[in-house]
Amino acid sequence: MTEPYFPIGKLVGIAEIGRMESSAPLFAVETTGLTKRYPLTWKRKVLVALDHLNLQIRSGEVFGLLGPNGSGKSTTLKLLLGLIVPSEGEARVFGLPPDSLDARRRVGFLPENPYFYGFLTGDETLRFYGKLCGVAGAALDRRVEELIELVGLQNGRERPLRSYSKGMLQRIGLAQALIHDPDLLFLDEPTAGVDPLGSAQIRDLILRLKKMGKTVIFSSHLLEQVQEVADRVAIFSLGKKVLEGSLESLLTERQSTQIHIAAELSTEQEAKLRQALGQAGLDSAAIQFQRPQLSLEQLYLRTVQAQSEAAAKGAPKP
Amino acid sequence: MMTSLYRITVIGRNTLTEAVRQKVLSVLLIFALVLVGSSVLVSEIAGGLDASSLFEQQIKFVKDFGCGAIGLFGFAIALLSTAQLIPQELHNRTIYTILAKPVRRSEFLLGKFFGIVLLLALCVALMSLAFAAALYWQEQLGLAAVDAADTQIPNWQQNPTLVSQYHNDVAQIYQQVRDPQLIEAILLLFMKLVMTTGIALLISTFASSSIFTIVTTFMIYLIGHMESTAREFWLARGAEMSIWQSGLVGFISLLIPDMNSFTIVDEILAGNHVPWSHALNLLGYANAYLIVLLAVSIIIFDYREL
Repeated sequence: MTEPYFPIGKLVGIAEIGRMESSAPLFAVETTGLTKRYPLTWKRKVLVALDHLNLQIRSGEVFGLLGPNGSGKSTTLKLLLGLIVPSEGEARVFGLPPDSLDARRRVGFLPENPYFYGFLTGDETLRFYGKLCGVAGAALDRRVEELIELVGLQNGRERPLRSYSKGMLQRIGLAQALIHDPDLLFLDEPTAGVDPLGSAQIRDLILRLKKMGKTVIFSSHLLEQVQEVADRVAIFSLGKKVLEGSLESLLTERQSTQIHIAAELSTEQEAKLRQALGQAGLDSAAIQFQRPQLSLEQLYLRTVQAQSEAAAKGAPKP
Repeated sequence: MMTSLYRITVIGRNTLTEAVRQKVLSVLLIFALVLVGSSVLVSEIAGGLDASSLFEQQIKFVKDFGCGAIGLFGFAIALLSTAQLIPQELHNRTIYTILAKPVRRSEFLLGKFFGIVLLLALCVALMSLAFAAALYWQEQLGLAAVDAADTQIPNWQQNPTLVSQYHNDVAQIYQQVRDPQLIEAILLLFMKLVMTTGIALLISTFASSSIFTIVTTFMIYLIGHMESTAREFWLARGAEMSIWQSGLVGFISLLIPDMNSFTIVDEILAGNHVPWSHALNLLGYANAYLIVLLAVSIIIFDYREL
């Protein structure tokens, strides 16, 4: 297991910023029959972007929204941020209407493919958003320092955002979403267009936020990553939620069992095991022995991280 | 209330910073060059006239040209900067990040508006400085010409008639160049630009593109200039017009600001006295109209789906 990228200790100071008491209701997000229709006047049709969504997300959960493009994920996020008004139904964020200022004080948002203001530097961007949230003075200075370090943008803080790479933009986007220490984070495709190392860093950050008790709701196409961080997921298709549940309940195959042995088996040992399993009443045809394989992502991350660690220690490159 | 004002200020300052860093102000360099170039040119063209009318023509030209250029450059800056405010925010998705924070839509819109007003104030101030410099240069040329004409006779200082003429000529130059009414004219020009910004902002709250905002604002601007003529016609011949015609003129008068009322700037430039009370009345009218424009913009923007 490699060392997590984001230093956990750096988030300790966050709670100092005037946050609301979280005498929160049980659910961070609750929707009942939430529906969004767009009338297509010229075609005399109505596009149903979201169809009667019922969702309950508990405080402290990491919730993944999955689905193809146009399935209603972004519409759901926009409705939960009060950026659009539902055609029917209701959404509540910590028991509050999503467009209320009190709800927004507790919410951070990273939109899909953000550009931000290209003329501002990383530092100025965070200060701008901090001031909008009422964070000022020494608290803002401290917060900016923490977040710049947290997302690893020390080298980019004085550069204008127009010179940022996609991964850097995503990281400054995460930092601005966290500037007022929100309890709930909405991340729309946080890893889109980011290289595997960058997206692993974002995954680490989500896990870190979870440990801090934050609620994270995110959409992603990278299913393996969702699997690594989400407690529960909902799968959307054509504006409808078609499946919802904890990963464990959804992914566990009740018809098979895996035994993990942290050692290489010899042919002789394998034969003995087969024999023992047969004696336990299992059909020999139902027993398979396989060497587990790394995923390509795991291999990539191991290689790249080993390289950068070696470079950091000053070791010669191979 | 204070936190709301603070957020408006933060957004306004950011809008100004954006315009400055996107080098909007460099447009003003062209203004300065055009102004200086034209005043040099006019000094050469008007060479055939006698000294005093030559000077009067030059000053009139520089004043006309200066105020005209402030109006034109200001109009371009006001219209283009305002028209792309909201579309660009939507394209870059920055609006989502701002409105996801504890910021009201009205605060966002007012912040953007005041940012553009600040930008216009800065631009008009800088253009006025260049304008003042051009006038000062003409004044120095005028004084040099008076010196050359009035002080050629030896011992002219002992001749009371010549001395009186000299002082008279100098006083005339000062009167023409250092006209306090120019401040009134520039203030009115600035207010007209702010009105243009208000109109463009209102349109951009429901427009789907910058081009639509630019074209529509421009049309309203033109109609606003023709409106007073239509109104006079209406008042004079109201009885002869059909109910539809009079209804239309009445509707337009109510809906579109009377931009022609700002043509009193031309009166000032023509050397006619326009009392401050008249200018203040006009500023009051413009401000009242602006408040309505902003209120309607806020209502529309509040309901807009983003």
